[in-house]
Amino acid sequence: MARHAKSRTADLFAAGNTSPALPAPAPAPVPAPASASKPAYRPRPSEAPGGGVPPTPQTAARARSRQLWYAVVFPELIEADASAAKLQKLCMHAHAFTSLVSIEPPNALLLEIKGSLKLLGPLETLHANIDACWRQLALEASSATAPSTLAALWFARAGQPVRIEDLGMLAGRMAKLPIACTAWDADRLQTLRALGVTRMGDLLRLPRAGLTRRLGVGAVKDLDIALARQAAPRRAFVPRERFRERCDFESEIETTAYLEKAVEPLVERCARFLRERQAGVQTLRLKLRHRAGPATCVRLGLASITSERRRLMDVLIQKLERLELSAPVRGMELASGALQPLSAASLDAFAGLAGAGGRDTAPQLVERLRARLGEEAVYGVVSIPEHRPEAAWQRVRELRLASVLRAGEKTAVRGADHAMPRPVWLLDAPVPLDSELILEQGPERIESGWWDGRGVARDYYVARQIRAAHGAKLWVFQERRSKLWYLHGMFA
Amino acid sequence: MPRDVSSLANILADARVWKLKDASAAPTRPVWSTGKSSLDARLPGGGWPTASLIEVLLDDTGLGEVQLFLPALVESQRRIGDVPWLVWIAPPHEPYAPALAQQGIELTRLLVVRPTTANEALWAAEQALGSGVCAAVLLWLKGTDDRWLRRLKLAAEAGGALGVLFRPERHRFESSPASLRLVVSRGEHEMQLDLLKVQGGRPGPVDLGGP
Repeated sequence: MARHAKSRTADLFAAGNTSPALPAPAPAPVPAPASASKPAYRPRPSEAPGGGVPPTPQTAARARSRQLWYAVVFPELIEADASAAKLQKLCMHAHAFTSLVSIEPPNALLLEIKGSLKLLGPLETLHANIDACWRQLALEASSATAPSTLAALWFARAGQPVRIEDLGMLAGRMAKLPIACTAWDADRLQTLRALGVTRMGDLLRLPRAGLTRRLGVGAVKDLDIALARQAAPRRAFVPRERFRERCDFESEIETTAYLEKAVEPLVERCARFLRERQAGVQTLRLKLRHRAGPATCVRLGLASITSERRRLMDVLIQKLERLELSAPVRGMELASGALQPLSAASLDAFAGLAGAGGRDTAPQLVERLRARLGEEAVYGVVSIPEHRPEAAWQRVRELRLASVLRAGEKTAVRGADHAMPRPVWLLDAPVPLDSELILEQGPERIESGWWDGRGVARDYYVARQIRAAHGAKLWVFQERRSKLWYLHGMFA
Repeated sequence: MPRDVSSLANILADARVWKLKDASAAPTRPVWSTGKSSLDARLPGGGWPTASLIEVLLDDTGLGEVQLFLPALVESQRRIGDVPWLVWIAPPHEPYAPALAQQGIELTRLLVVRPTTANEALWAAEQALGSGVCAAVLLWLKGTDDRWLRRLKLAAEAGGALGVLFRPERHRFESSPASLRLVVSRGEHEMQLDLLKVQGGRPGPVDLGGP
């Protein structure tokens, strides 16, 4: 079989080589083999017009070897109104078994359980445990496990509780499935019935080109996915959760110092909430409610995603200290922004350890500075490879805070290595000079930027002023057209 | 008797105790070279002391005062492990990124802070010095009082960072807790350096001839 496919591919390539200028000939439909003893369905590159090229065996094997899908179909849910919401709730239960749960509308869930086998396996036990979960919820469910998403789903829809781990057995076991379990549209199924195809085995025996023509690209792709010949990434269900908790005070609070004390347990609970979900937040909102009038809203932005109580508290205190209360506060509500997964690279998991020693981390420092001085007041600078001095640098607000940077690993784009030194201070705008100068080094001609309307044509010098009041080393230039002298920087 | 000797040794081993006669001995804290051998020779340990506050008095900008510290800043970022941060607070002009990159400073680890008031600047400096993630904090100020300087010094010692405070020369005759005080002024060709106070060293003008 493999040899056969290989020789065909070689033939096609040969044909392409001999007549490169000609358009590719329309592929002739491959006649169905007279004897149905040998399955004729096999993915062949270039046979299907617009059918897409099936992935190479290597990539497909890599993708499928890691996967084992448990599909569960809830027949009751199909009539239910809020089936989507119900499925989302069920996802939460499914999360007990795996982290990758995907919703298949309208009434099915797909669980990737290969990764769970080691911890919760073997497969029989795990499968039975998941089934038991639905029974406990008094839900009618039919489930199946197979190495591909669609195969598992089709088995579950057909009501066959199979557990197939071996990819080699998949096609054989699928042969008995009725084609209705694919949930293709009625036209397609009618076409197949007209052909006398009622079982999956009959379908798989049909030639690919003809199938593509009769049923469309989607059906053939479905078959590829079901046989795990093509990877089909699924979108994992991510619970949309926020932390939101309120507390009311027995008596009204008038000073921010007491507010800080009062908010501490809320932050503590928020941090625990985040830690349990292995998630962090980058924004927080604290709402202070008054007896009358609108509530005061305090918004917090953090420099990086965190779940650490100390950092959240730190920023909150900075904000509260600078808050002017318009009226006494009767209650407050702390709400988190969207939860984001904590990445290992952020090292936030270890930040708690570092913080215990009284030491800060860089994000903490930046947050605290920004909370008090304002977002704009704290920034970094980058060097840009550009000839015009004023365009060769830029302020950056997004700081690389989380990552660990080792000595010797250069990250900054270093500007062109100038033969002439550059000054430490650059003036915001060049200042006209009228006094006499001693030119010490130069000229360095910079002529650039004619294309964006801010062109410069200058000769730069390192200079010293003769006048006694200034002895500083200066960076000056002479405008080449006007011959005027300007001060642009200082070597400090 | 032996117990007393050991307690004295303990006291002498404390980093906070410095011995006047023993200034030439290697200090327990690391030092960073100033890049000028004649200045290194005058400083205890042969360089800028870390975990301390240095006060630079000058009336002008552009005398080469930042250049005094750039080699030390570059050296501090070459430490083993995570590259530490440098924080520049209220610099008189915009620090020019290409120049700093040219000198070898890791720009992704440089933070510029622009506070609106002197108190905010001092607060930011204290936070940065004490954070433990910064190697050096450079602060430009018009004026401040003794109490704040003492806080900065304590923060620098706690965080192990080098604090450099630039302020006008008129503060020359005020007392200061800084472990090193120097006056930078304009000379004929080079800038002139005058060490006002050197903890563990000898004050006096420095001849900056040579590299």
